[in-house]
Amino acid sequence: MPANPLITEQLGAGFPWLSLSIFFPLVGAFLVPFIPDKGEGKEVRWYALCIALVTFLITIGAYLQGFDPTIDDLQLSEKISWLPDLGLTWAVGADGLSMPLILLTSFITALAVLAAWPVSFKPKLFFFLILAMDGGQIAVFAVQDMLLFFLAWELELLPVYLLLAIWGGKKRQYAATKFIIYTAGSSLFILLVALAMGFFGGGAPNFEFSTLAEKAYGSSFQVLCYIGLLIAFGVKLPIVPLHTWLPDAHGEATAPVHMLLAGILLKMGGYALLRFNAQLLPIAHAQFAPLLIILGVVNIIYAALTSFAQRNLKRKIAYSSISHMGFVLIGIGSFSSLGTSGAMLQMISHGLIGASLFFLVGATYDRTHTLQLDEMGGVGQKMRIMFALWTVCSLASLALPGMSGFVSELMVFAGLVTDEAYTLPFRVVIAGLAAIGVILTPIYLLSMLREIFFGKENKNLVSQTKLIDAEPREIYVIGCLLVPIIGIGLYPRLVTDSYTTSIEALVKRDVAALEQIQNPSASLILSKGITPAVIKAPKL
Amino acid sequence: MPSAAEVAWLIPTLPLIGAVAVGLGLISVNSTINNLRKPVAITLLSCIGASTVLSYAVLAEQLSGAPEVEHLFVWASAGNFILPMGYVIDPLGAVMLALVTTIALLVMIYSHGYMAHDKGYVRFFTYLALFSSSMLGLIVSPNLLEIYVFWELVGMCSYLLVGFWYDREGAAHAAQKAFIVNRVGDFGLLLGILGLFWATNSFDFHGIASGLSDALSTGAVPQWAALTLCLLVFMGPMAKSAQFPLHVWLPDAMEGPTPISALIHAATMVAAGVFLVARLEPLYSQFPFVGLVIAVVGTITCFLGASIALTQMDLKKGLAYSTVSQLGYMMLAMGCGAPIAGMFHLITHAFFKAMLFLGSGSVIHAMEEVVGHEPILAQDMRLMGGLRKKMPITSRTFLIGCIAISGIPPLAGFWSKDEILGQAFNTFPFLWIVGFLTAGMTAFYMFRLYFLTFEGEFRGENKELQAQLMNLAEISNDEEDHQHQPGKLHESPWSMTMPLTALAVPSVVIGFVGIPWNSQFAKLLNPQEALEMSSHFEWGEFLALAAASVAISTAGISFAFFAYYRNRIDIEKLFANRFSVVNKFLQNKWYLDEINEKIFVRGSRRLAKEVLEVDAKVVDGVVNLTGLLTLGSGEGLKYFETGRAQFYALIVFGGVIALVALFGVLGPAPT
Repeated sequence: MPANPLITEQLGAGFPWLSLSIFFPLVGAFLVPFIPDKGEGKEVRWYALCIALVTFLITIGAYLQGFDPTIDDLQLSEKISWLPDLGLTWAVGADGLSMPLILLTSFITALAVLAAWPVSFKPKLFFFLILAMDGGQIAVFAVQDMLLFFLAWELELLPVYLLLAIWGGKKRQYAATKFIIYTAGSSLFILLVALAMGFFGGGAPNFEFSTLAEKAYGSSFQVLCYIGLLIAFGVKLPIVPLHTWLPDAHGEATAPVHMLLAGILLKMGGYALLRFNAQLLPIAHAQFAPLLIILGVVNIIYAALTSFAQRNLKRKIAYSSISHMGFVLIGIGSFSSLGTSGAMLQMISHGLIGASLFFLVGATYDRTHTLQLDEMGGVGQKMRIMFALWTVCSLASLALPGMSGFVSELMVFAGLVTDEAYTLPFRVVIAGLAAIGVILTPIYLLSMLREIFFGKENKNLVSQTKLIDAEPREIYVIGCLLVPIIGIGLYPRLVTDSYTTSIEALVKRDVAALEQIQNPSASLILSKGITPAVIKAPKL
Repeated sequence: MPSAAEVAWLIPTLPLIGAVAVGLGLISVNSTINNLRKPVAITLLSCIGASTVLSYAVLAEQLSGAPEVEHLFVWASAGNFILPMGYVIDPLGAVMLALVTTIALLVMIYSHGYMAHDKGYVRFFTYLALFSSSMLGLIVSPNLLEIYVFWELVGMCSYLLVGFWYDREGAAHAAQKAFIVNRVGDFGLLLGILGLFWATNSFDFHGIASGLSDALSTGAVPQWAALTLCLLVFMGPMAKSAQFPLHVWLPDAMEGPTPISALIHAATMVAAGVFLVARLEPLYSQFPFVGLVIAVVGTITCFLGASIALTQMDLKKGLAYSTVSQLGYMMLAMGCGAPIAGMFHLITHAFFKAMLFLGSGSVIHAMEEVVGHEPILAQDMRLMGGLRKKMPITSRTFLIGCIAISGIPPLAGFWSKDEILGQAFNTFPFLWIVGFLTAGMTAFYMFRLYFLTFEGEFRGENKELQAQLMNLAEISNDEEDHQHQPGKLHESPWSMTMPLTALAVPSVVIGFVGIPWNSQFAKLLNPQEALEMSSHFEWGEFLALAAASVAISTAGISFAFFAYYRNRIDIEKLFANRFSVVNKFLQNKWYLDEINEKIFVRGSRRLAKEVLEVDAKVVDGVVNLTGLLTLGSGEGLKYFETGRAQFYALIVFGGVIALVALFGVLGPAPT
């Protein structure tokens, strides 16, 4: 579909698709108090579903009408000078990096609303927060101004915090506090870096990405900024050892919040790493990329092992999320368009698969009232459809071919192995270690399935709880998630085509920077053994 | 009319459509679909049936000399990376298509009888169709990556089917073990595929082979790297085709329903590894060392399987170890650089082993009438005996299978096994000796199975023995079993005996397509090689080797005859008591399961636990400690846990806004 020629950078020209998709759910959220509802949430949930669906349709409209995947530039741009003194402009736009994630956000949010159907405790506040989060998260992916980005990033924290603190499990206060300290604390780095970059080079401060990208930062300045941003986004992604908020937050969240946390929130970290670290600070990225890859491998193996030892179902899946995000890190650090595409696809794929697994955890908890694996067992006979849905989603998570996870992991692997940016021994070791994850993932996922569903019925569980099978709403939610999961798995170009050009442009920039720092003295951080100091020379 | 090869993509697609349709039905309207047994079975049977017809049409075309057909489309691309998918029809693929569809069809008919009383009947048929589809997809894959895709999918189907009776503890563990052991192999396969792609920029079989030899000659890839990659890729077939030491999953996989053991774990999926090695022949033939490794692994497996099978008392486990052993023969052939011989044995074995397994299923089906559904009892040969009189068709077909696998001419197994032994004799004489001795063991353990099961007196009603066996397996008798009303032994229904009879025909005659002096089979797969084979053929050598192997098989059979039929030889006295260490060693399956359990299972569990400890105590501890320190004292944290933390969030957020505002007040930077 060709881009709408009317959409230009000029104010007022073209339809403001992105602003609309940000403000529509926000306005919808603020209207929630006026919805007549008896307090059980029966009316307000329909309202929230409508708002979320319309938002989803708006983002689809934006994609179909205003987005041309063959262009690597920013599209759907809107720009309004907001606080000129501050250099703050309302600048939104989308390229291949943002568009798929914007779609993912509105899609998962709509399903999360459906997942929140049984919420009866303070439903108005609940749906208000979910809708506000929807707008905030779309804003994170759409804004093109770093200060604005910071605001959107912070804006989205508050709803999550409240959703955790009010509707969470027993240790919700602890988890919510931990979450807010971690993320708010780390996001101060974003602000600092934004200011530093905005004021860099003198002149009126300007925080727009396009302006920031053109400035010629010094090498050490880039490195400093890079470290700051890496911490901020590393908490979100999360990168081991900055991950400990996640099992607590996930362990306490309710199913819909879970879906949003796993489906969208973690992707903000990956997106921001691509957008800022890889795109705006290419020189520093060239030096830090090996570190990203090593951290990625640590993520994969470390989190897979912890997940295996976990006896709590929610925490198990939470750790598996961390493990899967390791592939995103490896892809971002790979200097190949194939690997980076894989990272992008892994984010989308995990967004869908993670959301489905967490939804199932919630649905199972509603029936068993326990998350301890030791207290489950043999429930497969009572809940056959549930068992089937669990099996399909677990297989998707362990990267079974035919589903999206396989394609993204394969792309990351192939990108890493075929790329000449790193020395051969480094690639061999990394690929070998990351592939251990391929063995570990089925170990913990299949053990989990076995302990929940297989074997003789746990008599205690059966006598105490009513194990009804999956209801149509639940089947529908999982079905909606499985359609894109399997669709991507069968024909990945459905999604990859929408961002390939942007990724290629990004990687080109990074590779150019890598060649620029050929001079080994520029390598500040890492020893020569690992630096990707353009090992192009001997073809092996 | 288009040629059959042009529409060959329908062969895997048809069963897939059927499986998906029924699967979606099961998810959405479970009880309705579960009651529609006949319509579902007929639908899926006709899907597979159509695939079978198409497969034979494809085979007929290839027999009449049609060229290879390949159709590709771009599946994924990024940068200069292009990954095509599609399908290819060549003689090797055509033969496998016909084989797999035939056996799948017969197993499906058989399942109608075997699973008649199972509440998971519809689910079972759906899985069967899904498996057939994946297996057929694997066969027509034009490149390594697509093979990997279907490779994993057949693994998944195997997982689902082994764990089919998910209320059984053993099935749950076996399914998981099968999947994970296969993943260990896939780990190597994946790395090997990626490495070969790095070295040759290709996933295509011929592209890899020529690319690697080019890279070797220009020195772009060192010899050791090429060898490593070939061996990594071989890890995949090692796991899938149950080669030592990754064979441990296959005997456990017998927890699945018996039709599955016949289809997946004897005839088709486990042969996929051999098939892949045959596909990779252009690559492997460049490296004699890799061939040697494959041959040695094959020989070890061959001997190991047969030796363990000697002592097995479980009918299905005995057959399972026999499969392991026969797969070893096939690998040995591959390692000797004789893929045609290996493939030939794959095909003959598929027919008679599928028949043997289906026969064992028929026996178990009958035994369950007497001893109940506990597999410990229903599959133990100590409770069988004398079944020949009650089950004439089953016993006759089983006997044919035993003769075929023992390598007695002119049945199928003789031709294919002799071909392999002949190749081994010329390439690796030492390995030939092992293979030759194994042939004797094979004949012995197969006839041991036959005599214990079908001859002598029926021992199934011996309650004392039953209790003893249950104790041995450490299973307490459930109440259900006491309610079980013992029935009478009887021959299985037509839906089960018909496939047995149908399989008996190829078990007898299929060998004639591969007679060494005029092998039609070799002519189809590789006409050039066939010419060479027949020109090198020497009656003297053939007759000598054939006589030797027939002699050792006959010796094995007579030994079994005197030990288990005439009871003239007391095995206990003669062997078990005298070499009790060896006997124990064999009974415990070379202690491989124990080693596996101790080192890998417990080791990984302990490691995971320790990492979790570190995570909870060290990593999280540091975080909490920092939290405590920054807040001044423990009181601070307590404060946050009392519910006023919302304020903190507001403070943070407010602070940010204030900071932004502050910059605003400061005004634009002076320029």
